[in-house]
Amino acid sequence: MYRRLLINIYQVRNGLIHTQNTRLPSTKCKERESFAPVIWAPCTARPLGTSSISFSENKENSTSLSEDKEKRPEENEAKEEVNTDGQKSTEISNATLTLQLETEPVDKPEDSKQVEKTKSGKESLLELLGAMKVEVTTVRKIRPSKTPRMSERPDQEPMESTHSMFQHATAEGSQQQGTLNPALVAAVSAAASTLPNRHQAESELLKQLRKHEAVPDTQRRADGQNIGHIIADMKVGGRKTNGRSSARPTSQIRFDDDGKGYTQDRGITGELDAVRRRKSPFTSKRLNIFTAGMEQDTLSVLGPTLWDIDLANQIVQATNQAPRNGFEEMIQWTKEGKLWQYPINNEAGLEEEASVPFHEHVFLEKHLDESFPRQGPVRHFMELVITGLAKNHHLTVQQKKEHIDWFRDYFRQKDDVLKEAEA
Amino acid sequence: MASSCSQALRHHVCKSSRILRVHLQKAWPNRSFVLNPAADQQPAVSSPEEEIVIPKKKTWSKEAVLQALASTVNRDPTASDYRFQDDPYLTPKTSSEFKLFSLSQESGRNAAKYFISTYPKYFQKDYAQPHIPCLMPETLEAQIEEVSEAALIERIQMRKVKAAVDLYDQLQQAGTPVSLDVTNQLLDLICFYGDCDPAQENVPEQRNEETEDVQDEPQTKKGRASKASDKLKAAWKENNNAERIFALLSEPNTHSYSALIRGMVKYGAYSKAFSTYTDLLNNQLKADVSTFNALITAAPEVKEKYNEKWELIVDLLKQMAEQKVKPNLLTLNAVLKALRRCGTVGKSQAFPVISEMRALSIDPSLASYNHLLSIFYKPGAPFQGQTDILQEVMNEVSGKSFTPQDPDDAQFFITAVRICLDTKDIEQAYRVHELLGVGENWRLLGNDFQQNIYHARFFSLLCMMENIDVVLKWYRDLVPSVYYPSSNVMRDLLQALDTDNRLDLIPQIWKDLKQLGHGNRQTLVEELLTLMAREKQNQEVQETFAECALDIKKMYDTGDRGKVMMSWTAGSLSDLVSVLLAAQRRQDAWEILKLFKTHNRVPSEELLDKFLTCIKESGDVNQALELVQISAGFCLPGTPKLIQRVQQEFLLSEQQKSMLSDLEIQTFNSD
Repeated sequence: MYRRLLINIYQVRNGLIHTQNTRLPSTKCKERESFAPVIWAPCTARPLGTSSISFSENKENSTSLSEDKEKRPEENEAKEEVNTDGQKSTEISNATLTLQLETEPVDKPEDSKQVEKTKSGKESLLELLGAMKVEVTTVRKIRPSKTPRMSERPDQEPMESTHSMFQHATAEGSQQQGTLNPALVAAVSAAASTLPNRHQAESELLKQLRKHEAVPDTQRRADGQNIGHIIADMKVGGRKTNGRSSARPTSQIRFDDDGKGYTQDRGITGELDAVRRRKSPFTSKRLNIFTAGMEQDTLSVLGPTLWDIDLANQIVQATNQAPRNGFEEMIQWTKEGKLWQYPINNEAGLEEEASVPFHEHVFLEKHLDESFPRQGPVRHFMELVITGLAKNHHLTVQQKKEHIDWFRDYFRQKDDVLKEAEA
Repeated sequence: MASSCSQALRHHVCKSSRILRVHLQKAWPNRSFVLNPAADQQPAVSSPEEEIVIPKKKTWSKEAVLQALASTVNRDPTASDYRFQDDPYLTPKTSSEFKLFSLSQESGRNAAKYFISTYPKYFQKDYAQPHIPCLMPETLEAQIEEVSEAALIERIQMRKVKAAVDLYDQLQQAGTPVSLDVTNQLLDLICFYGDCDPAQENVPEQRNEETEDVQDEPQTKKGRASKASDKLKAAWKENNNAERIFALLSEPNTHSYSALIRGMVKYGAYSKAFSTYTDLLNNQLKADVSTFNALITAAPEVKEKYNEKWELIVDLLKQMAEQKVKPNLLTLNAVLKALRRCGTVGKSQAFPVISEMRALSIDPSLASYNHLLSIFYKPGAPFQGQTDILQEVMNEVSGKSFTPQDPDDAQFFITAVRICLDTKDIEQAYRVHELLGVGENWRLLGNDFQQNIYHARFFSLLCMMENIDVVLKWYRDLVPSVYYPSSNVMRDLLQALDTDNRLDLIPQIWKDLKQLGHGNRQTLVEELLTLMAREKQNQEVQETFAECALDIKKMYDTGDRGKVMMSWTAGSLSDLVSVLLAAQRRQDAWEILKLFKTHNRVPSEELLDKFLTCIKESGDVNQALELVQISAGFCLPGTPKLIQRVQQEFLLSEQQKSMLSDLEIQTFNSD
């Protein structure tokens, strides 16, 4: 599905190009494209970061050069050389190297010349390209569910499909003549008309257009082969073409130094990845005002202040405290202290007695010290009193002591009466 | 490509972490070996696993048993609120009854408390064993009469602002020194109440005011306005007692400054608070967290521009870091709340603030999320590209149980559901509702009024987005056990019924409407009638419609309990007639037709035409003539047409024919 989409997009783009440049023999284009993958295949080693670009540019040149062949005969020769070599699948790396060596010097001055010439026209053109990109991305966004497939796709496979794709393109290109984006036509012709050599300029512009469609394809293929190289490229590739790229709008930079460019332009893959990997905003970077392990200066803490109490009160007021069922109401009562606490403890509320052992309650003779007579009715009475107290579970030890003390005082007061009665 | 790259990286990370873990596992047993003295003594015998660990005695909290039991009870959608289960007679059926009953329960409780506190001498007998302090009368009168620090403390504890200030002055005049702590407490008290005596807590009205705004929107606005005016009334006064006492302090400490600044912020003296803070810095003191929190709250008030506000907040935070004051959750919430008033700056800074607090292991509470949502979704503003913020927030919070930590926590659910309603995002609404069911989160839905708003919004969204079966499922679940829908929401429900073509449920809904006390909402009833009259249903449904229509008619006739009487309109009457005609209840329809006359309404021609068709089916000539007479009585322009139809379609006697021709002439003349 996703591939289909891609192809469609390319078709549209190609359609635009071809309709614009009808003079281009379509068979030629097809031919060039068909050999291009053969060159890319051995490219896996990627001796230079810019290699794939030079190829793509090269390929573009070859199409545009159909007109001004006489200008660069040596380049065409090189291409044919490559073509034959590539078909044999021998000594390909040699061919690529030579090709590169030959094409690059030609390319660069050419490019910069063009930049100077067509600046104003190109800007509008690039705007259009930017707009095209936006369209593409919206299409992709609609089908985010197709993402996983992309990574599964075998990297080498698209050779045929690219081939057929261009066939499609050429076929449909003529059909789409009528439905050509008028803005694009206007921009290209406007740009071209500003230049002395109209045809050449136009073909240059088309070359730029072609780059946009061809390069992502190249990149993808190359990327799939070895991640390590990308990483290496990222480090090494740097910005060799700084001088040139600074003059170029951003949408073009990515073709020049592929290392950096990938992150920006890998349209579909990049964007979908971004969607997949997009971090939650909650993991965004922090303000970095405080340090994590910061120690707090301990201020004198005086227990809850009025403000703290009020805050707690406000929270309680703001939240729903109404019980939802009987048990919750009982929880509420327990918290208020109105309910006997669970687990049931029959000594609840007798906390001050908890530390008193039972014998203090039961053996009360020790309190009948010498202040009471050793024998006689008073002693007898007091023994009965402590027996009663020992059995009384309502009184605390302290209360029992007080009870005995009361009698001690009482009998002391009544001492004379007792003496009189000789008790 | 980047994906495969990242996969490779992830794989690598996984691998290395696994290796690390293996290493750690190797290292740990050795370590525990060394740390364990028993193992040290007899290294040959025991490996650490065999060691018997005696579990510690577990002390259960006093609520543990009850909590376990409470967790077994689920909500019964057929039962009313627990508060009303004591007496079936008092089961509220309408929102106003709900309001009335819950308020009377509350105020009864308050009245009892008021009496106990006002006449403590009658409530001294302590029956409870063990003693229950909360049932005993509170002491409201100061016990210590003499002029002393103890008396001052007592007055502070009883929150008697005026008395405490007077006593403090007396102490000062007598030359008795008051300790700094007590003075600070006094400052706290004065600043907290803004130098006015607090309204007595047990006075029943106070609680009423809060709960009064339970149901209707306009009333809440009134309630809020009155609260706002209360605050305005109690503005910070120049040179009030707090400032005076503060000035008397020879060496005010952090606490004194804190009290003063918080009081100033609370009562709207924002710039003064900042100057007091500068004063604090000049005195080589450090502020505490609460002071900073108060200042952050005040920050948006003292600056005009968004970025100035934010700069001030950042400045305050930096000063906190400098003074080694650890921020707390309230700091986070204060910052976020301030960011709500910083426009676009708020949007860019909200997440960094949260990350910052996370780094300090301060987890956001629901109030933080509420502020966050409010930053990104301004009510009334268009929503573009922000819909995922709610989603992100829901990703963060869903499945978590929150404890109330901030008074604003209770705002989260209504904010979230408001955004769902505004963005028509039913999926998130379900997630919000699900979150409500987690743990104790239902407590954070807030009071009855907020619950009502929440449910109204949630249910409106359901009516809008879901098909009628789902809506009705929720309807049965929520109404009336937790939610008494307002007439607007019921109209939404009717619309949902209409869209999904389930008008056959209308009689059922009418019963509920009546029970919910919306039986006398004219617009609602009229809409109901229109819906019933609009299309012809099958016979069975028409029959129930007719019953329902007659029931509605009864509502018009009897204005029960002094409620607003509904008045018949031509539209409602003709709808009623058409419903009855469709159910072949000609006699009932005839009665209604007579009502046009008594209520001075004019029936439409189509209605009379329809009526005539119906009469024709039964062939009642007399009634047909009467119909024509009624039509002539209203001087309807369609009367001649009716006469013509009667003449053509009915078998008429001579007398009737002459009568018709008379009528014809009459209408002709009147024209």
